[in-house]
Amino acid sequence: MQKKRILIVEDAAYMRDMLSEMLEQAERSYEVVGFAVNGKEAVEKYKELKPDLVTMDLVMEVMDGIQAIREIKKDDPNALIIAISALGTPEQKKAALDAGAGEYLWKPFTIKNLFDALEKLLRKREDERGSAT
Amino acid sequence: MYRNNERIEEGIRGKMIKGLNYRFFILLSTVLACTILAFFVSFIKNETIVYTHFFYVPILLAGVWYRKKAVYIALFLSFVYILATYPLTHLSIDVFARSAIFVAVAYVIGLVSEKRAKGEEKLKETKEYLDNIITSSVDVIAVVDMEGMVRSWNKAAEDDMGYSAEEVIGTSNKKFFADPEEAEKIMRIVQREGGLKNYRTTVLNKDKKQVHVSMSAALLKDKDGVPIGTVRVSRDITKEVGLEEKIKEERDNLNLILESMDDGVYIVSKYYKVEFMNKVLIDAFGYHVGDVCHKVFHNRDDPCPQCKNTEVMKGKTVRWEWDSRRNNKTYDLFETPLKNIKGTISKLTIFRDISERKRMEDELRDAEERYRVIFEHTLTALCVIEHGEVVTLANREFETLSGYSREEIEGKKWIDFIADEDMGRVQNYCEERRKGEAPACCEFKFTSCNGEIKQVNAWIEPIPGANRCIASLLDITELKRKGDELRETCEKLKELDKMKREFLNVAYHEMRSPLAPIVGYASMLERCELSGKGKKYLYIIEQSARELEKMINRMLELARIDSKKIELSLEGLYIPEVVAEVVKGIEPEAKEKKQVISTVVPEVKIQADKQKMVAILYNLISNAIRYTQEGGRIDIMVEDREKEGDIRVCIADTGIGIPEEHLPKIFERFYMVDTSLTRKSGSLGLGLSIVKEYVNLHGGKVWATSEFGKGSKFFFIMPKRQ
Repeated sequence: MQKKRILIVEDAAYMRDMLSEMLEQAERSYEVVGFAVNGKEAVEKYKELKPDLVTMDLVMEVMDGIQAIREIKKDDPNALIIAISALGTPEQKKAALDAGAGEYLWKPFTIKNLFDALEKLLRKREDERGSAT
Repeated sequence: MYRNNERIEEGIRGKMIKGLNYRFFILLSTVLACTILAFFVSFIKNETIVYTHFFYVPILLAGVWYRKKAVYIALFLSFVYILATYPLTHLSIDVFARSAIFVAVAYVIGLVSEKRAKGEEKLKETKEYLDNIITSSVDVIAVVDMEGMVRSWNKAAEDDMGYSAEEVIGTSNKKFFADPEEAEKIMRIVQREGGLKNYRTTVLNKDKKQVHVSMSAALLKDKDGVPIGTVRVSRDITKEVGLEEKIKEERDNLNLILESMDDGVYIVSKYYKVEFMNKVLIDAFGYHVGDVCHKVFHNRDDPCPQCKNTEVMKGKTVRWEWDSRRNNKTYDLFETPLKNIKGTISKLTIFRDISERKRMEDELRDAEERYRVIFEHTLTALCVIEHGEVVTLANREFETLSGYSREEIEGKKWIDFIADEDMGRVQNYCEERRKGEAPACCEFKFTSCNGEIKQVNAWIEPIPGANRCIASLLDITELKRKGDELRETCEKLKELDKMKREFLNVAYHEMRSPLAPIVGYASMLERCELSGKGKKYLYIIEQSARELEKMINRMLELARIDSKKIELSLEGLYIPEVVAEVVKGIEPEAKEKKQVISTVVPEVKIQADKQKMVAILYNLISNAIRYTQEGGRIDIMVEDREKEGDIRVCIADTGIGIPEEHLPKIFERFYMVDTSLTRKSGSLGLGLSIVKEYVNLHGGKVWATSEFGKGSKFFFIMPKRQ
């Protein structure tokens, strides 16, 4: 199975590091292809790298995650995005899902939480494809 | 009735005429016989002396019948005797002596006879006089015999009674009386008493009309003293009786008026004697008619100094107030002269009890005084405005407010106290207030004596029934300044609160962020090979991180509740399922402490927010586990209350319990029963606050009971439908 290419969008360096460390733990399945530190950069990087998955922090400078999700989705409606936030309010979760995020991960999370969310998102996509074909 | 007598008299008179002729004839015969006898004896027998005795017969008769005229008979017979004896005796002394005796005897007999006749005449005259009186009497005079039969009936009787004498004489007198018993009664009284005086009775005339009479009667007796009848004199007093009745009626009316008056009335004579008291006065002072007024009313032996008797007797009407010490009442006395029928003057006094009025006047005076004191000493500036223009009265506080003295204020124009800019507005307000349209309060700028402007709140209230109003002014200058300050502070605080909330939101967010690498790396560390100690340390890190996260979550939740960001997402909850889910999730904790959780849950479904219901149950059960020692038990009981339409949930533990004084406060934020640093487990005391907020959000109620050292019971009620 092909490795899934992942774009990590995070303003905090330690979070970017941790996410890539976690994904390295499953190096056969995932490959981090790039980082972005704000929404604007994320949109640009997405266009450039065309990753399979995006982990999107929601609270960022310049352009926030929700706006970025919308932009990416506008560009590629099939984009798979996991929203990640420390706020965890139902309003924010709803806003992220409405903007086009496939999953919502609440900080803090364990490695298991991350992989579960990713797998859930991928399975959902496969199910959609399966039913489409 | 004397008609009868007249007739009798006439009869007698007729007989008398006949009697007269008869007497004259007899007399003439005897005189003739004597004359013949005298001549016969002297011529035939020549005797002179004998037979002169016969001469006494006519003399005696004439003396009796014709009184002194018998002397003429005697003289005639003497002449005859002398003539007859002359031829025989030549007129002896003896003859003249005998003749003289004739005359003397005749004279004596005539004299005696005349005297007797004069007595009879007088008697007759008297009788006639009496008859005249009886006949002409205006009083009814009747004679009734012992059997009650009428024997005599006079003219007045005929006129008054309508019966003629012929009709009634010889008939019973019973029919004359309105009450037939009356006839016998009168008879009895007259017999017993020998007479009757001014006896009032009612008789019936021929037309059966009632006539009031006053009757006097006397017993008639014969010369042996045996009663033979009664003579009755009656006078028609119908008019008098009518008059008397009228007088009585008038008096009754007067008495009725006096008795029915609400005021007391008495009449006092010139000599201070009480002649009349009406009921009101009798009730107040007792019955004292006949007593002396100053004795009765003032307990004095002599007239009181303030007595008006003398003045009233002189014809003056007086009115004065009297305080009675006998009954502690005040009377308004109206005293006026009263002319009696007899012409004497008495004093009529009307006593009006004005104690109540006096008392009310006193009360009014007291009330006025009270209000004056209030008016004067209240801390609100008060003034009375006449005709909307002039201030006529002001209190001390108004002096303070305005800076003027009272003398300066009173008479000043009301608008002089109003700052120019507010003048029009206040005048409009006053005008509308008079019409009852404006609201009670008006705020304006008040100008005091030195031109200082003060902010006042004014209440202008029209005084009913007068063209004036009372204005109460409250100096709110300071209050307003403070109000402004307060408003500013409030604004600042609101701003601060907003900032705080935003800050806290960011803070909670920022607090969670560093947790992310802790939790994240710890979870990765789990996958590494670790020594026994390493594993233990990792476990502690993970536990602490979880506790910290929970705490931050709760604070976040309460912040959201406070900013009203929480909304219920209602769904049908099957309670046994929810309870089982929560118990299942929490059971490992209980098992660790060897505690038993038992549940009694009926089949009931309610409408509620699942996440919140779970949180409520989770918080209460985990609290129970936390505060119960190893081996204790936790009972969860749900009661389906049909009647109330709700469920009642009870979570009971056998734990340490809560001291009673803490029970009312345990649902407050950050409240902890045990504040010592040595307390067992973390939690900032936010769990129960969240429970309370969630239950309240559902319209329910939460409370707890506890027996310290034995366990606690937490209850909550949740309506089945929202």
